[in-house]
This record gives sequence, structure tokens and C-alpha cells, in this order.
Amino acid sequence: MNIAVCVKHAVDEGELRADTSGRPQLQGALSKMGSFDRNAVEEAIRLKESNGGSVTVVCLGGADSKKTLKEALAMGCDKALAVASARALDALATSYYLSRALKKAGPFDVVLLAEGASDTYHGLVGPMLARWLGLPFLGFARKVEVNGSKVRTEAALEDRAESYETVLPAVISVVSEVNTPRYPTLLQIMQAAKKPMEEVTVESLTDEGAPKFGVTVGDVVVQSVDRKKLVFEGPAEETSRKLIDALRKEGLL
Amino acid sequence: MKLFQTEHRRALRAFYGEGHAAFSTLLESLAGTLEAEVAPSSARFDADSGGISSARRRLFEAGLCRMPFDSHGGLSLPFGVYSLAMELVGAADAPTAMSLGIHNTVADGVFRYGSESQKKEVFEDLVSGKRLASFSLTEPSSGSDARAMSTTATKTGSSYRITGTKTFITNAGEADVYFVVARSEKGHSAFLVDGSAPGLSVGADIPKLGMRGSRTAEVRMDGCSVPAENLVGEDGRAFEYVKSMLSGSRIVMGSICVGIALAAYRKALHYATERKLFEKKLSDMQMTRERVADMRAGINSSRSMCLYASRIKETGEDYGSEAAQAKIIATETASRVCDQAIQLFGGYGYTNADVHRHWRDARLLTIGEGASEVLRLIVASMELGGAA
Repeated sequence: MNIAVCVKHAVDEGELRADTSGRPQLQGALSKMGSFDRNAVEEAIRLKESNGGSVTVVCLGGADSKKTLKEALAMGCDKALAVASARALDALATSYYLSRALKKAGPFDVVLLAEGASDTYHGLVGPMLARWLGLPFLGFARKVEVNGSKVRTEAALEDRAESYETVLPAVISVVSEVNTPRYPTLLQIMQAAKKPMEEVTVESLTDEGAPKFGVTVGDVVVQSVDRKKLVFEGPAEETSRKLIDALRKEGLL
Repeated sequence: MKLFQTEHRRALRAFYGEGHAAFSTLLESLAGTLEAEVAPSSARFDADSGGISSARRRLFEAGLCRMPFDSHGGLSLPFGVYSLAMELVGAADAPTAMSLGIHNTVADGVFRYGSESQKKEVFEDLVSGKRLASFSLTEPSSGSDARAMSTTATKTGSSYRITGTKTFITNAGEADVYFVVARSEKGHSAFLVDGSAPGLSVGADIPKLGMRGSRTAEVRMDGCSVPAENLVGEDGRAFEYVKSMLSGSRIVMGSICVGIALAAYRKALHYATERKLFEKKLSDMQMTRERVADMRAGINSSRSMCLYASRIKETGEDYGSEAAQAKIIATETASRVCDQAIQLFGGYGYTNADVHRHWRDARLLTIGEGASEVLRLIVASMELGGAA
């Protein structure tokens, strides 16, 4: 089975700080493989382990994104494809260039990616990529089962679970529940340096079909939530009753 | 909290130049394992006085113990990178770091002085984690004065009979292999004693101030029969070996202390930016700022000293004095930084085990693996001559 997994080298949201105006300090922010992308890589490796074949990890981004590709190779992917872009692209352009890179490196039976990037979380690249590739899209999978030429997924939606089935090839996005990503050993990290990594540029993949206009992200401001900050004073018996009443009023009890 | 931070990347760049990026990748990944599978259980290990075996297993699998060795399954990484890895383990959980640090001191001894068959049969099992080791040197009446030990090894035909008691032995009861130093006819000799050898018994766990997650107990040998092929190196040369093994171990113990200090420092720093009194943040008060600067300078100087001693070790030159200096500075700094963290937390520092456990953990290491007093004797003898 020929598997591709698309990942993003994302801002480390856990380490991001906002300045006094509420804007995230992106300059010099730490970056890493997107949190949900690790689940996509893990699922790709598990599919390979149970069905045989190989996994190609693909990442579109700047020079830093090779760090994420190396991590995916250490986890167990077999080869990497860096799609170099000197500037940030929107979802339409990203999915377009990824589709071009995949067509060139493929064909693939399964293309996996995360439900969304852990920094921007637009969740658009997956379905757009499927459209560019002309393949069925199975979104938000918390379970992926390949049986011969078919794939069956179980999707976790807000208030219900749905099962989907299609014939391969297909594009599948996974949620974090799908698995627990492995941490590579030090030996695997060192060996990853010897695995093949190809590089193409977005310029080399451009043709007349490339999207001409993109969406630019303007200002990003952290939303602050005002707390009610209720303070109950008095003896414990009285304040505890007041606290219970307040929680009931909010529908929390 | 991220364990591997910019300060580690900068230290690697400062000490390893061009090679730093690959080392940063390795340590960042190790830190990910520590954050996910070790650090969250650290407070529980302290409260329950044990339970580190699964954390230790996970780090064996990650390849931590393979790092500084260049054959038989080793990863050929510089000692300084290994010492920085041990700092990260120390920051995640000090008892786990202590247990693995001692284990790897034994692995180092077998690697450097053991026979080829000991390397194949024992060393390879130690670095893979198939077997756990324990370093048995200290006795009830001979700690720093190790030459006064009373454990004896008597040669009888093709084996030795070992009799004596060792105390304060880390990993005792869990270990599969005990590296035992005993008096023989030719002086002091080292042996690999199987944990299940007849005549070897382990006492009850010794309650401790800190490092509670790792087990410490007495190891008693009563006519314990050990095959002659379990002798490590040459008969009578064990002190030479132990001295060299402990020098490397001192850098590691210093690094673990840097990690302990860092864990306490980060907690204190976070608290200082949240806590308000006199309508000001604690972190805006001049005395807090002075304390923070002292803690930070102490941590950085300790790490620098551990990496400096490591770099000298990597060149093959004698590094005994620098290793001793690194351990003096790092262990004493850690006790001070953890004490300052308690002070910053005030009453919460004194009552919250998750704050004061760092001080309790650090407190061991100005005593174990070479007391500060002994280390000062070593440094002074290098400067002034005379016996250490």
C-alpha cells in the first residue's frame, strides 16, 4: 500500500505568548510538527505496519519544515518530500501545491492528514486537497480500517458518530482520538538522517491551473473572556449555599 | 512545561558549534518522551516512595543509556550531550535520573574494564535495559573512606567467595547485576554479582529525605560464590577503575542537579508572576528580582561547568578535577536554588510537596557519589599536591 501523509510545521501553540495588545508574539515563536499532524503520521505508520507498503511524508513550508519531516521519518515514515515555499500560502494554494506534489510522487492509495493545523485550525486543506486530486474525502476519522481495496472510517462529529466507506484511493483526515502518537527512539532519530528526502519548490509545481488569488490573514488578536469573579463572603454554611445557588443559576449543576 | 528550551539549544550551540542542530533534535525528542511519560508521574513517585520502573523502562527504550558509548549498541554521542540529556531527565524526575545514572556508571565500568564476553553478555543487556545494574561500593563503616571497606573476596579454585555488607545502594532489590567492590589478596577488586546469586540478600528499603522514587537498601553477601570470569578487569585494580568511573558519574550527578534546580526555578518563576501582595506582583518586587537573577546565574554556571568538564572528558585528557568542581558547583547550587524556590513560595513552599521535593531530592547529591568535602580534597590536591 502506497501511503502519503501531509503535515504542517506549525507554531508551537503551547509556548505562544500574547503581547500587551493581545497579539500573539509570532516573531521568534517556537515551531514544531502540528499536534494533530503527529496523529496523522502515526496512523499512516500503523496502516503500513498492518497492510505493508511505504509511507511518504509531505510538508509544504519554509526551511524549518525539514525539522518536521525528519521527525516524521524518525517515527517510521520511509521517505520525505519537502515542498519549499518562501512565503506563507493560504489553504487553497497549499492544497493545490500539495496535490501537484502528490501527483508527481504518487500514485498513492491513501492520503492522510490532520483534521486541521494545531496553530491556525482552519481545517480546509484536507477537503480542498481531495477536490484537487479528484478523490473522495473522509473527514474527522477517529478510526480507520483498510480492507482490500476499500477503506472504512468512523467519524466523531459533535453530537453523533458516522461511518463512511469508499473505494481506494481516498483522502482521509484524522482527529486526535484516532491514536496515541509514538515517540521515536534516539537511534531512530539518528537513522532518520539517512532516509531519502526530496525537495521541490512551489514555483516548479506552478502551472496555468494554480489559484491566482489568495486570502491573506490580517490581524490576529487573542479573544479575552471576562470572568464573572463572584466572591461570596460570610460563614462557610452561608457561602457554600450561595455558591451552589450560583452554579445552579449558570446551569452547571 | 517544555523541558527542552531555548537555553538548552543555546548551550549546545555554544559548546558544540556546527553539530548542535542534530543534538538539539535528539534532545528535543527525548524531552517529548519525558514530558509525556515521566514528568506527569514525578509527584506521585515522591508521594508513593517508588514506582519509577515504567518510567525507567521507557527511557531504556528511548535509548538514553546507549548515548555515550561508541560500540556494542552505543550511539557514539558526545558525553556532554548525554549529560544534558540527564539534566532533562533530572528536571522530569530526579529519582528516575538517579537510578539510570548509577546504572550507567556500572555500564561504563563494564564497557571500559570488562572482558569481551562481559561486554557482549552484560554491557549490551545494560544499555538496552534488559538488565538493571546497581553500584555496590559504600559500606556501613566506609563511605568517603572507601579504602577502609571490610567486604572480602576470597579466591577458592575457579571462583571467589564474597562476604560483607554494602549500604545506601541505589536500585538494590530491583537490580539484576551488582557491581561489587571487595578486598582481595591483591588489593581491591570488582565483581559482577548476579542478583539471584546464592548468599546475596537485600535489606528493607531505607526511608529517605528525598529521591524517594528510587529504591535504596542494604546489600548483604554471606559467602556469595561468584565465578572467576565475573571479575572485572584485573584483580587488585578496582580502585583505579572506580575512581575513573566516578569522575564521569560526577558530571552526570551534577547535570541531574541542574535539572532539579531548573524544575524548582521554573515553578518559582511562574508563581512569582502570578502571586500578588501589597497590590504588586511578587515578580515586580526588588528582592524577588535579585533572587531570580541569582537562581538563573547559578543554574547557568552549573550547566556550563558540567558541559566544560564533559568537553575535557571527550578530548581524552584527565578531567577528574573539573568533574569534581562541576559536581560541587551544581549540587550546592541546586540545594540553594531549591531553597530559594521554597522561600519564594512562602508557606506554600514549605507545605506543598511538589515544591519542597526538589530541595529534598537535591539534598542527597552533596553527599552521594562523592561528598562535597571529598571533592574539595580532590580539587585541592590537584592545585596544591598532596593526597586527595
